[in-house]
Amino acid sequence: MTVVALAGVTRVHGDGETAVHALKGVSLQVGEGELVAVMGPSGSGKSTLLNIAGALDRPTSGTVHIDGRDLATVRDLAALRRRSVGFVFQDLNLITSLTAAENVMLPRELDGVRSRRARAEAMAVLTEIGAESLADRFPDELSGGQRQQVAIARALVGERRLLLADEPTGALDTLAGDEILRLLAARCAAGASVLLVTHEPRYAAWADRVVFLRDGLVADATDVPMASAR
Amino acid sequence: MSIRHGLLALLSRGPRHGYQLRVDFEASTGATWPLNVGQVYTTLARMERDGLVEPGETDDQGRVVYALTEAGRAEMERWFTTPVVPSDRPRDELVIKLAMAVAAKEVDVAEVIRRQRTATMRTLQQLTRAKRDSTEGRAQLLVLDSMIFQAEAEQRWLDHCEAVLKEAR
Repeated sequence: MTVVALAGVTRVHGDGETAVHALKGVSLQVGEGELVAVMGPSGSGKSTLLNIAGALDRPTSGTVHIDGRDLATVRDLAALRRRSVGFVFQDLNLITSLTAAENVMLPRELDGVRSRRARAEAMAVLTEIGAESLADRFPDELSGGQRQQVAIARALVGERRLLLADEPTGALDTLAGDEILRLLAARCAAGASVLLVTHEPRYAAWADRVVFLRDGLVADATDVPMASAR
Repeated sequence: MSIRHGLLALLSRGPRHGYQLRVDFEASTGATWPLNVGQVYTTLARMERDGLVEPGETDDQGRVVYALTEAGRAEMERWFTTPVVPSDRPRDELVIKLAMAVAAKEVDVAEVIRRQRTATMRTLQQLTRAKRDSTEGRAQLLVLDSMIFQAEAEQRWLDHCEAVLKEAR
């Protein structure tokens, strides 16, 4: 099953002579249980792509489906996001006055889920990723890698099975970064879908499929068969 | 590096016979450097000649157990305390190929880079999968990591080439 599908997506910022064509016709699908990495230099359109795939932004033209729903027909994108999409960013945005478990609970409480149930769900997802021992610690008491684990738990809490990650390994050393990718790959094996944006080849290589974005277009992808000519 | 240095390192863990050394060697380096047992025995014979190892008892299957000598221990120490210099590494075919692509007429260098980048990423994906599924020891994992870092460096270099050539256009 396809969890996110972009078809012929363009995105133009501004208009007239100063218009920036961030995406010039991108088609991309992420299936259930799939880890897809998008690689590209800054300015290639990868952040715009992620924002559109996560319903943070709408395309100028083309279509986006999340869980089979055409975003053009969805009025309340925020509600759709809360139910379907989790985000993990480089600056992880954990709230420092809340414990790890409380941070993970937060999106569920915003959804109107009662505290007791939200906590149970938070503990369930923290346990799933092997981070239950971090539950009662504050972000300041966690390492960079551990904080990112908590951010991933928060992105997956509740029913959400789509995770969009923008340079989630940014500030981490390679050992901690590899652990984050190991975790994301494991969540995919358990049925989640991940769209990962990175400029680091070593992390992209954890993906089932790597898509290279250049100047707003898909330049190449690793799932296209190609003869080796080295 | 030579096989003899590897054998010296493995013998520092205690006396071993040739077959066991071969198994230990591959367990440490992974599939990157397969040895046959003949190479091991030939090397041991030369090392014995040079005074680096000495044969000891024969086990119940008639295999000679070798041990490090003082000179062998010193040679191993010398090896580990001397940094490796890159001068005797073979030339990298990809580097030459790209340089020639830039020098040649009517070659779409960007296309050469694009194809190579995807191929290198596939290699990197395979190595990463091998690492993820690996149940081997730490030495072998570090060998895999080394190959991952090298493939990553190649990928970064290709991105760099692309950016430089785009700038120059």
